[in-house]
Amino acid sequence: METSVNKPMKGRDRVLAALRGEPVDRTPVCNPTSVATVELMDLVDAPFPDANRDPELMARLAATGYTELGFDSIMPVFTIIQESSALGCKIQWEQKDNWPTVKMREPIWTDVDDIKIPSDFLTHQDTKCVLDAIKKLKKEYGDEVAVIGKTMGPWSLGYHCFGVEPFLLLSLDDPGRTHLALDRMKEATVEFGIAQIEAGADALTLPDHATGDLVSGEYYRRFLRDLHIEMAERIPIPLIMHICGRTVDRMGYIAETGFAAFHYDSKNKPEESMEAVDGKIALVGNINNPETLFARGPEEVSAEVHQNLEHGIHLVGPECAVPLQASVENLKAIPQAVKDWHAGHAA
Amino acid sequence: MAALNDIANEFLKEEIEEFIERPNERTRIIDAFARATPAMQEISAALIDGDNGTVDTLTRAALDGGTEALEVMDDGLIAGMSVVGIKFRENFIFVPEVLVCARAMKAGMAHIEPILSASGIEPVGTVIMGTVKGDLHDIGKNLCIMMLRGAGFVVHDLGVDTSEDEFMDAVEEHEAPLLGMSALLTTTMPNMGKTIDAFIDNDMREDVKIMVGGASVTQEFADDMGADGTAEDAVGCVELAQRLLVELKQEQEA
Repeated sequence: METSVNKPMKGRDRVLAALRGEPVDRTPVCNPTSVATVELMDLVDAPFPDANRDPELMARLAATGYTELGFDSIMPVFTIIQESSALGCKIQWEQKDNWPTVKMREPIWTDVDDIKIPSDFLTHQDTKCVLDAIKKLKKEYGDEVAVIGKTMGPWSLGYHCFGVEPFLLLSLDDPGRTHLALDRMKEATVEFGIAQIEAGADALTLPDHATGDLVSGEYYRRFLRDLHIEMAERIPIPLIMHICGRTVDRMGYIAETGFAAFHYDSKNKPEESMEAVDGKIALVGNINNPETLFARGPEEVSAEVHQNLEHGIHLVGPECAVPLQASVENLKAIPQAVKDWHAGHAA
Repeated sequence: MAALNDIANEFLKEEIEEFIERPNERTRIIDAFARATPAMQEISAALIDGDNGTVDTLTRAALDGGTEALEVMDDGLIAGMSVVGIKFRENFIFVPEVLVCARAMKAGMAHIEPILSASGIEPVGTVIMGTVKGDLHDIGKNLCIMMLRGAGFVVHDLGVDTSEDEFMDAVEEHEAPLLGMSALLTTTMPNMGKTIDAFIDNDMREDVKIMVGGASVTQEFADDMGADGTAEDAVGCVELAQRLLVELKQEQEA
């Protein structure tokens, strides 16, 4: 990580420079998925589920990532289901203390030929909410911090729209139809991504959950690498790939896609991850959620932050969307630990 | 102790040679397959190959030919699935391949379950299984349930998005000594702890052993949540359930 810039940078510039592989004044603290918590919802009176469906509340809650936590980026798309809702999936919106989820046991598509992007895809309440929230955040904080959007990749959309089990079975039973399905679904990814750029997003997270907990690295290469290369070419801002779980076996492929960064999980060690991407892509991560941010204290959070920094991780943040019950104290410890580490290494 | 060449089926021999690395598992699996008849070995091989049509046909034929349902299940289906479980644990195969094998096992079990249900065999134990509140993922849970049923447990599946009250009601209703909770998402994993706390608050914790599992669940997390154990995969889940059942009986007798 190049940290040769002496003049203090604004959070936005810091994040975008790190995503471009350019020098920064210090490592940016970034939340490519979500740092929404119940505590923050209460603080600004913007609770789930409304904060996922009302742009005013969505923007207000997202802003806390900067105003309360001191991160260098803001991410208003807390969930992974906004576009799935617009595609027609049934959603369980839940309450303040639970994440909304797609009812994958009630798939909307059973055949590749069922795939259709509705004409109101970008004007549906749950996609429009994101676009409007990004516009608000850009207007209010766009000069200070990076506003990051999120558009789900076709593999994740496949889980939501076909159901996880049917989609994975299709991938073995009929790889050709699976490729066709991905090719059709990717248009939703690109369409929603470009709409967020037009709304003002500085970068986009693109989660595509071909996780090592479900499929092999070879599967990633076979089904997704070329699609992701195409997306990097068609979506003209820095893209941050997010895949949960163990992913070292596919990081080399991901590094070849032209994405700016890969948001990696704590199941992968910083040193082995840095080796796997071989300087071809920035890494964002990987503070553990369930054991550290949720169940431990600021000291343990700082230790994990420092471990990432010691190994040259380019942007530091939680490994994935943080548990809604995580404490603000622990989340604030992330930027503080980054600042402390850089202060200690300034000489 | 049997040798690899005591197994008639060539496919099974190749699978063992290529994928079963731990000496104790290798010995156990070679012994099991060597004891099995060629017809049962053929069922195992078809299951490992994910060929549900062949498993369906061979299982029916074996039962029609007079082979006991328990023998077909143990020596054919479960023996095959234990190889699948090891290949999954060692990352030789992943979930899509396991799902294809599970589909083959279901095809065989569809013939066997009605016979076993009618036979009145005493179950090993009763387990309540469910995915926690807010989580709709169930592949891992379903694989565990399939293996637990195969091992002789009666399993009541509460499905996904299961509340604390639903878990407690089910344990009470079925007087189940074992509860298994699943969560895939790191965001929903804390709900395992909330459920365990609810069991404590309602004075029910002493009566039930609680297992937790899911892709991101570690032993450390399970300990933090106050669970009695976790396992890496469906094969491990069966072993854990068997161990916890023994522990509970010992505690109750003490």
